[in-house]
Amino acid sequence: MPEIRLENISKMFGDTVGANGLTLDIADGEYLCILGPTGAGKTTCMRIICGLTSPDEGRIYFDGKDVTDMPVDEREATMLTQSYSLFPRVNVEDNVLFGPRLKGWDEESCQQLVRNMLGMTHMEGRGSRLPNELSGGQQQRVALARALASGSKVLLLDEPLRALDARLRLELRKELKSLAKSMGLTSIHVTHDQDEALEMADRIAVIRDGRFVQIGAPQEVFENPATPFVANFVGRSNIFEGTLVYAGNGTSRISAGEGITVLARDPGYEPGTKVLVAVKIGNTKISHVKAEKPPEPEAKRIEPIQKIPKPKPVLDFSFRGRIDRILYEGATITVEIDVPGLGLISSKLPNRKYDDYDVGEEVEVTWSPSKASVFPYPENGIKDELRLD
Amino acid sequence: MSIFKRIDDLSSSPRIRKGWFSAALIIFLTLIIIPAVFVLLEAVIEWESVSEVLGDPTMTGMIWGAVSNSFSIALIVTILDIVVGLPMAWILVRRSFRGKRYLDTLIDMPLAFPTAAVGISVVMFWGAPEGVAIPGLGLVMSPYLIVILLHTVFTFPYMVRSLAGILDQIDPSFETAGMTLGASRLTAVRTITLPLFRAGLVTGFILCFARSLSETGGTYIALQMLGVSSSFFTGPTFIKYMKDLPGADPTGALIVVSVIMIVLAVALLLVAKYMMNRLRLPWTKVWPVWERRLSKGLAARSKDILTFVFLFVIVILPSFYIFAYLTAPSGVADLNSLFGAIGISFAIAGIAVVFNIVFGIPMAIYIARNGNTRLGVLLDNLVNIPLIIPTTVLGLSLSMFWGSFNLPAGAAFFLVTLGHISFTYPLVVRNITGAISEVDPSYEEVARTLGAKPFRAFSKVLLPIVQSSVIAGAILAFTRSLGETGATISISKDVVTVPVYIMDLIEQGQYYQGAVAAMILIVICFILMFGVRYLTGRRKQGA
Repeated sequence: MPEIRLENISKMFGDTVGANGLTLDIADGEYLCILGPTGAGKTTCMRIICGLTSPDEGRIYFDGKDVTDMPVDEREATMLTQSYSLFPRVNVEDNVLFGPRLKGWDEESCQQLVRNMLGMTHMEGRGSRLPNELSGGQQQRVALARALASGSKVLLLDEPLRALDARLRLELRKELKSLAKSMGLTSIHVTHDQDEALEMADRIAVIRDGRFVQIGAPQEVFENPATPFVANFVGRSNIFEGTLVYAGNGTSRISAGEGITVLARDPGYEPGTKVLVAVKIGNTKISHVKAEKPPEPEAKRIEPIQKIPKPKPVLDFSFRGRIDRILYEGATITVEIDVPGLGLISSKLPNRKYDDYDVGEEVEVTWSPSKASVFPYPENGIKDELRLD
Repeated sequence: MSIFKRIDDLSSSPRIRKGWFSAALIIFLTLIIIPAVFVLLEAVIEWESVSEVLGDPTMTGMIWGAVSNSFSIALIVTILDIVVGLPMAWILVRRSFRGKRYLDTLIDMPLAFPTAAVGISVVMFWGAPEGVAIPGLGLVMSPYLIVILLHTVFTFPYMVRSLAGILDQIDPSFETAGMTLGASRLTAVRTITLPLFRAGLVTGFILCFARSLSETGGTYIALQMLGVSSSFFTGPTFIKYMKDLPGADPTGALIVVSVIMIVLAVALLLVAKYMMNRLRLPWTKVWPVWERRLSKGLAARSKDILTFVFLFVIVILPSFYIFAYLTAPSGVADLNSLFGAIGISFAIAGIAVVFNIVFGIPMAIYIARNGNTRLGVLLDNLVNIPLIIPTTVLGLSLSMFWGSFNLPAGAAFFLVTLGHISFTYPLVVRNITGAISEVDPSYEEVARTLGAKPFRAFSKVLLPIVQSSVIAGAILAFTRSLGETGATISISKDVVTVPVYIMDLIEQGQYYQGAVAAMILIVICFILMFGVRYLTGRRKQGA
């Protein structure tokens, strides 16, 4: 059961960067998600791990052993692709037994193995079906059984849920992870779907331009994004620029133009620094404008993971904007507020609030300062930093 | 350790894999491409005799006559094919009616006919050549016209197939959308669907043009039966005529005509490829009233009727007419020499096909998987070259190339086989390349991550997926080799394959014997052709 280590992996495809100094440790039996936008180098990273692509630079270790030059077929790292790649015109049983037969297992052990594997993946009695007679979910289970039967200890999943319909996709998230976990596989799951990664991963590695920008537990990546890009890619954020006015006591005061001052975490920068502020839209609160009473301070629930000291109750602020649109999304609604000087600020609310607000209404916007991250202003500008290509 | 296992182990070394591809590449270049175009170099080596020919006005006149006959016939035939092929393709793809399957098969039939057999059949049907017992239409036509009619027979299926293949992929909803927006059917087809046809038109054009340009056996037989084989020439029959001419050394003339044909054919291929990217059919102007009138009623129906009339009168009847010989008072067929010739034909075709599969597959894999690299594109284009060089020229070039090595006299069979390898190579490699590029590479990659070494991943995963295309390509190449005349006679007179045997019989005026041999050859090719249809049909259902 291997522990995988990537050391400074780089790969160029002509002028395109595939990997640019990837370094990563994956624990034995861990379920790691590599999350990133299209073209970020997710698949390249995975192909390098299983040996289908060889890196220009850097080393790969399985259990401390250097496998960089080991051929694909000896690595015992199996890939599960988007389309599952079940061999066409070969039935389920023969697909599952592809690996064992290569190794020259006798037919009796093969039969026993196939029974076990199909049992484990809830595909009993379907051994003689052909791949095109199976549903997407079933195909995926067979592909998994095939991977397990080959004796692989590392499972590489390339967008394994992408080809399924939305509902099934949600169901299979749990099933896939628990199967991998129960087999004790070290799994690396590549996806561009942040919800999938947040729900499934033990840890998430966010990749961009062939580099890991942040590696951490889902909660950490979500709550403590390392860069504005992560803040926006993993769960949408309101992001705007401002100037740091004051910092201390765990909070900072940032002037965001046209008389708007907001509170956020203390980033430890000097006053006067140009910064970006990012707040998850789910942490952005709105309330009706009440002429006398200022909005209530928000300090009810603070996540235990936060290492930042609790802010003092003096810290409340709000600014006003006018509701531009209200999007109904089912369980949630997103209210888009036009704030002069800041642009559009979104707030995600439970759908029971749908009737509470109207388009055109003026509202107060605020958030708990501990939920707002502060970043130095990116060198190449805000657009380049947030770009998803 | 079994040999299979040993290959498997060897295949895991990248150096061995690279070596295997290099071997395939070297074989492709030295056995197929270089001999095919060696005549260009020979023109420089033999400059003296070339310039002598160029200085001889009667000679240059004959050469120009032959070449311009070849190219103008090919052009007329191809345009005819396009004009009739379009409505035919439409009927095959967009209409559904009872018996469509049979029509589909019927159109492919001339592909199974060796051209030597078609040559006899077409002349019998239209004319009334001396010495033929079966009465035909008895029309007196110029050899030029007869050759056009003959070439139309075996090029028409290529055109219909290419056009139908593309049409099948064009979504009819474009036309429907156009019609819901108020266009008449003709307007919709002309302005919306037709411009999407470029690729099919160009492919069909190249196939038909090259086939017509290349054809030797059938054309020579037709000219022979009309008694004009020493006064009317196409490029390939001119080469045959010069080679057979007693006395004078034909080298100079042969080189000149070959070089002209190669250069023009390659130029044509390049222009066609260029057109594929550039050609626009910018007829956006519409004539609503006229087009609406032409879209329905009598005009539309007569278009369909004319298409069928063309198919039966110009293509099907003339090619089957040879079977009328079954009613002839039977003479004594010399089956012994016929079966000797069949044996030679089968041996050559078999060796050529096996050779092409073994050395063509690595090439096909490379082209399919590296279609975007510079080498991949280059090879993709090079593979087409033997397809467009007229086979007679190819054979001549090849025999000049190997002639410079002073091979022993018994090497003729070997050289003819090499010639057949050369012109069937594109058929095999094209087919396999097409099939492989449609297979998602992830199948092999997954097999590799499951522990398969490269050779196993190929033989257990990729090969089973593409095997029907491999077999289809092989049978196509096999029938093509069986029917080939030009390459065989331009390499050696001593290797008597079936078409050469038939041609000899016709030259001696033994029409009955020739017809029997032709019919037997047709039946053999038919059986093979139906094998292809069965295999490719099954693949479509299985996919």
